[in-house]
Amino acid sequence: MLKMNFFRRAILALATLLLFIPGFSQNRTVSGTVSDQAGRGIPGVTVTVKGTRTSTQTNSDGAYTISAPETGTLVFSSVGFSAMEMAVSAGNFSPTLAASFDNLSEVVVTGYGTTRRKDLTGAIATVNEKNFNKGVYTSPDQLIQGKVAGVQITNNSGQPGGATTFKIRGNSAITGSGNPLFVVDGVALDGRSVRPGVGDVGFGGGNPGANPLNFLNPSDIASMEVLKDASATAIYGSRAAYGVVLITTKRGKSGEPKIDFNASVGFSKVAKRIDVLDAAQFRSALTYYGLSNANDKGSSVDAFDEITRRGIVQNYNVGVSGGADNARYRLSMGVLNQEGIVRKTGLKKYTANLSGQFKFLNSKKLGLDINIIPSQFQEDLAPISNDAGSRGSLIGNALQWNPTENLIIKRAGKPDSLNVVRGGDLINPLALQTAIDDKTKVTTILGSISPYYKFNDWLEYRFLYSINYGSGTRRTTVQPFMNFNDVIDRGRARIGYAELTTQQSTHTLNFNKKLSSSISLTALAGFEYQKYSNRGYDVNGFGRISIPGGFGNYGLDFTNYIQYSDPTTRGVGSFVDPSYELQSYFGKAIVNISDKYVFQATIRADGSSKFGANNKYGYFPSLSAAWTVNKESFFSVDQISLLKLRASWGRTGNQEFPSGSAIARYSFTGSGGIQQTNAENENLKWQTDQQYNIGMDLGLFNRLNITLDYFNKKTTDLLFPSEPAQPAAPGAPIRWVNLDGNIINKGLEATINATIVNQKDFTFDFGVNATFQSNSVSGLSSAINTGGLHGQGISGSTVQVIRNGLPINAFYTREFLGIDKTSGLASYSAGGDLLYYVGNPNPKTLLGLNTTVRYKALTLNAAMNGAFGYQIYNNTYNNVINVGSINNGKNIGVSVFQDPIKESFANPVTASSRFLESGNFLKLTNATLSYNVGNIGTYFKGINVFVTGQNLFVITKFTGFDPEVNVDKNVNGVPSVAIEYIPYPSARTITFGVNFSL
Amino acid sequence: MLRKLIFILTTISLAFAGCTKLEEKFDGQLTSSQISTTGSAGNVNALLTGIYASMRGTFQGQAGVYALWEMTTDELIGPTRGGDWDDNGAWRVLHSHRFDGDHIRIREVWNDLNGISYSATDMLRFNPSAAQGAEARFLRAFAQFMILDGWGQVPYREPGESSITAPKVRKGTEALTYIISELTAIIPSLPDAPVTKATKDAARVLLMKCYLNKGAFANRSAPTFDAADMQQVITIADQIIASNRFLFSPNYFDNFAPSNGTIGKENIWTQENLGGVGGGGGDIRSRWHSSVHYNSQPSGWNGFTTLSDFYNKFEATDKRRGVAYPTNSTTFTNPGNRINVGFLVGQQYDMTNDAPLKDRTGAPLAFTPQISIIEKGTNLEVTGIRAYKYMIDFPNANQGQWDNDYVHFRLGDVLLMKAEAQLRSGAAAAGLVIVNSLRTNRGATPLASLTTDNMIDERGREMYLESWRKQDLIRFGKFLLPWQEKAASDPKYLFFPIPNGQLAANPNLTQNPGF
Repeated sequence: MLKMNFFRRAILALATLLLFIPGFSQNRTVSGTVSDQAGRGIPGVTVTVKGTRTSTQTNSDGAYTISAPETGTLVFSSVGFSAMEMAVSAGNFSPTLAASFDNLSEVVVTGYGTTRRKDLTGAIATVNEKNFNKGVYTSPDQLIQGKVAGVQITNNSGQPGGATTFKIRGNSAITGSGNPLFVVDGVALDGRSVRPGVGDVGFGGGNPGANPLNFLNPSDIASMEVLKDASATAIYGSRAAYGVVLITTKRGKSGEPKIDFNASVGFSKVAKRIDVLDAAQFRSALTYYGLSNANDKGSSVDAFDEITRRGIVQNYNVGVSGGADNARYRLSMGVLNQEGIVRKTGLKKYTANLSGQFKFLNSKKLGLDINIIPSQFQEDLAPISNDAGSRGSLIGNALQWNPTENLIIKRAGKPDSLNVVRGGDLINPLALQTAIDDKTKVTTILGSISPYYKFNDWLEYRFLYSINYGSGTRRTTVQPFMNFNDVIDRGRARIGYAELTTQQSTHTLNFNKKLSSSISLTALAGFEYQKYSNRGYDVNGFGRISIPGGFGNYGLDFTNYIQYSDPTTRGVGSFVDPSYELQSYFGKAIVNISDKYVFQATIRADGSSKFGANNKYGYFPSLSAAWTVNKESFFSVDQISLLKLRASWGRTGNQEFPSGSAIARYSFTGSGGIQQTNAENENLKWQTDQQYNIGMDLGLFNRLNITLDYFNKKTTDLLFPSEPAQPAAPGAPIRWVNLDGNIINKGLEATINATIVNQKDFTFDFGVNATFQSNSVSGLSSAINTGGLHGQGISGSTVQVIRNGLPINAFYTREFLGIDKTSGLASYSAGGDLLYYVGNPNPKTLLGLNTTVRYKALTLNAAMNGAFGYQIYNNTYNNVINVGSINNGKNIGVSVFQDPIKESFANPVTASSRFLESGNFLKLTNATLSYNVGNIGTYFKGINVFVTGQNLFVITKFTGFDPEVNVDKNVNGVPSVAIEYIPYPSARTITFGVNFSL
Repeated sequence: MLRKLIFILTTISLAFAGCTKLEEKFDGQLTSSQISTTGSAGNVNALLTGIYASMRGTFQGQAGVYALWEMTTDELIGPTRGGDWDDNGAWRVLHSHRFDGDHIRIREVWNDLNGISYSATDMLRFNPSAAQGAEARFLRAFAQFMILDGWGQVPYREPGESSITAPKVRKGTEALTYIISELTAIIPSLPDAPVTKATKDAARVLLMKCYLNKGAFANRSAPTFDAADMQQVITIADQIIASNRFLFSPNYFDNFAPSNGTIGKENIWTQENLGGVGGGGGDIRSRWHSSVHYNSQPSGWNGFTTLSDFYNKFEATDKRRGVAYPTNSTTFTNPGNRINVGFLVGQQYDMTNDAPLKDRTGAPLAFTPQISIIEKGTNLEVTGIRAYKYMIDFPNANQGQWDNDYVHFRLGDVLLMKAEAQLRSGAAAAGLVIVNSLRTNRGATPLASLTTDNMIDERGREMYLESWRKQDLIRFGKFLLPWQEKAASDPKYLFFPIPNGQLAANPNLTQNPGF
């Protein structure tokens, strides 16, 4: 009994601690509902007692409760609505807020703080939670796909948790990822995934990467801001050239503790297949091509069907939030279990987020924000690689499998066995899938603590320290029945480990003061230090030929007893990257005159240990101004609620090259030697971007918001892994240099959001964003080749070039003229001896469409996205299901067989414009139909049930799995664009779910 | 307020104490100053090991020196077979002499050979002993000799020179004179053994090659042979022969067998491979892999073949044409005693039970003598005579860690160089004795007389696929002649083009004429 009492008390104490029960108040408790003009409750309205720090927020129905003095005044404010004040004494606590389309009171998250929207001078796009893509996503970048003009987000493949390509304002990356800098609640991310590479266990070493944002739970994200122009990004200096994305996680709101719960379950299946011959077609093809019927094995098999499945997706999230003015908290946990549409693949993800905002001292001048995001994701990966050679990889083997040959051999009285032929080069995809287990586990924790002190109303000092630690393991086994020469009868095991740590400490001093009745000054000065480290190791080995099954037939995971492997086959390696530190000083000032004229200047000085001794610091300034024309007294067009003109100029940089590139490094080799492994360059520095932006924000009829931006971005001092003049260190080392040359990206971005109907029972919102962009390269002293193809018979072929006068990554290969009717061989311009500019992988136009239609409690959200005016190279057709395969007893594409001109099976697999296809597509990215059930009983509030379809249809002529594809075909680190090569297929997913609060 | 200020200033200054000079630290690698300050013989030995390791890939693999020095000749062709071996035309243009300055293999071999030259030069700045220094200088001389042979221009650096400046270049005879002076200077400091390392005899063989090719390097279109140079070749050969360290092996293929480290009595300089032990970069199995069929044992890549005209230069009794070599496997025992090394032609058999093998279309796996540079028939998988000299190391075959040491220099080459020098200095009769003693050992009938025509053929028969054919054909004035699947070629092909990227990177290089 005593124990029980103690236990109860402990719980009570803990609960008290957790819930931060506010101090007792003698004020009057008032409650009400805040509605919009259509009479609907508005959730999330901030209700403040004027002149105090007491505030709360409305719930999902617009209801609130607050304690306020009888003499006080309540202030109601919410993004998208005009703020309103009401005296408590007036007795009406249920105001109706008018919609506001200028959003000028809104606060926007910007670099190292927030800025009032009216003070913005640059191109910043904000996407809030309600506008996020709906459905099950593994990482937050997918939430804003198709939502922001000037931004192209491409899922590189259909792999759950796979990497995306995130391009802001065109493409200027001749090296590195070209991805923007991601900043989560003030903490800049490393940008690399800590998932170890697979190394080569027999099917190509280049595995599709994992998304570095996988550690975040999309349902923890409150908003994302895309900083596009230099006035917004320059404060991030030498890492901001590809833009900056600020991710803000959800925060607790003061009020009663609240539990938000959402759950969804869904199914996914292959969205689109690549058509290869079925058994009957294969038989007629053998005859058609004049081949013996030795390869008609008599059965009828669909190998692709056998390796794929309907995947189940489950996603559960729970969030607890609440607190008082001086102590707010939010705790959330999420579980995602996504089965891949390829058997034996999937992603499991566990995330949590704990954040708290506290204020101390009587004066409440001292504050503390903490944020902790622990997470883990586990992947089951398929043997799919970006650079599979003649052994192919799972998808390639499935496409190539002879459809008349059984995958499984059935014998009477014996158990079924996989059809694996010893020797030879025929790989049974089902055997490959069964034989290989490739599991990763990535654990990360991002923690930040940020104390601050308000000296007075206008001066605040803030310190932020964060540590972002991640460790990843990868365990790969290959069973000894696999007919790879090196594996058969032995088996193989590999364990990889990597560890990535980023530390950041940031000091900022914020100044925010009205200097006179019409002039206000906001200023920021800061110092920041960051340190990155990356290390790892790898052990691997084959089983012993002297032991049956190599590792013995114990049914155990070989990676659990790798010491049993054959010692002569073992490989070990470890690495640590050279230290990488960044030390920076930055400042920003905004002058606002009468809310009409705003001037902003920023500067950052970035010192990086990676830079060569002669270039330790880079300086990155920006200048910008905005003129809110409609605030002028001479302006009196009632229909125009907002007319703001903006202009900016600035310089940013990029330093995405490996640390240790400036200095000669000698590495320890596996043969007991020491070798120099790079070519040094003490002049190495950042790549520079100079960007102009001219923009306009227009609000019309209180229903229409239009934003137009013209950008012109010039990239110089191009970072490039060059081939040094020989003699140079052995092993084809590279010298990182800043190449002379310019890449210019320019374009026009337009965003239009319209409220077409806004009535109590029916609303209809529509948004469109479009980007028209172009890209050109000039000033290079020699051309750079990339886009290296893979597969049988294509070694050493590249199809893209970075060359003066052409867009970046232009397709540059042989010009295909057709198949000769008599010989069946391809013919090319100039006999194939000359290469031509034959296509552009960079879309000329990007399009995003969003709509929300609501009738009473039923709401339909839909988002489409598309890209136009570009080509994709189909390396799959070139080298996997080309006509030559049929002579080897392998399958070919239907389109090859059905082509009216009979192609000779001896036609070489030469790279050419033949395999370029239009990439134009328009995709229904997601559509959600939800029904707002409302409240049930006293406890269940804001119940919302929904069904979401993702990737529902795509309009395209592209013949691969998905026109949204970017398989990494880099050459020596120079990235490729828009090449397809037997990727993980894309899924179509339907999920059903429910949200509610307690 | 004051206390507050003190507190805040202290906090800030503590935080700012993290200020850094932004110096890079290597925790898993070394800077050059770390190597020299912790200087010891061990460091220099590790660097030396690194130089040897850097030679393995380019000499042992099928796409390195082998591709450039053999596929450009009448001994080797890389045909395109339907969906396979197109490879951007890289193999076709080598054989048909249509390559240019963008050729991937020419670029890679240029880089690899210069990498050896660089690391051997760089090592010299870390205070090596005389013996260590001589070893590095030999490796550099060898790499520079190959660069000179291929491109006619040899870029070089001095030890410790900044890598930012453009390397200086020695051309033609100037480069050869330098190599000869280096070799002459270091021979006294080199050891006598082992054959897996730089030795006096290895340096002597290279010196022989320098003198023998001097006239060809001076004028590739019309080489002349100076009597004094030929005498040098003969004198050095006699030094090597007189040492009695190198003798004919009982079986010609012993020199290339998995255990050639012990039974390869003719070998003067090799790259050591240890069976089952990863050597770092060496892939001698690719010689076999690049040639035989997918359904061969172990499975190959079905690529390179020889040409029938070259195959027909051999007498049927000539053991060098191929033998049933004893396998080192209890599984692949070759019960039918089929030819399994040398040249493979006709029906191929299962090495475990002698069953005839089939190709992927289900037809018999029977290699035919005809080969076209682009194969077009239904039999495109089986065309061409397959050729390799390194006997399969079955137990280690699948791990890519063959025991067979790679052979740079061996006695047969020395004997034939001496005979050639005698032939070129008017002593054909003396040369014929040497050639015939060699032929007798190989099971071939003696020649009646020695001419330049049968001398180059004999070099082909003895040295085929050992990456000297291109140099030999140029020296004998036959490199530009037409042969199977190649028309008469433009004289510009006597040189490889300087890789275009290198021309941009080093203004001291000039593109070879015609490219």
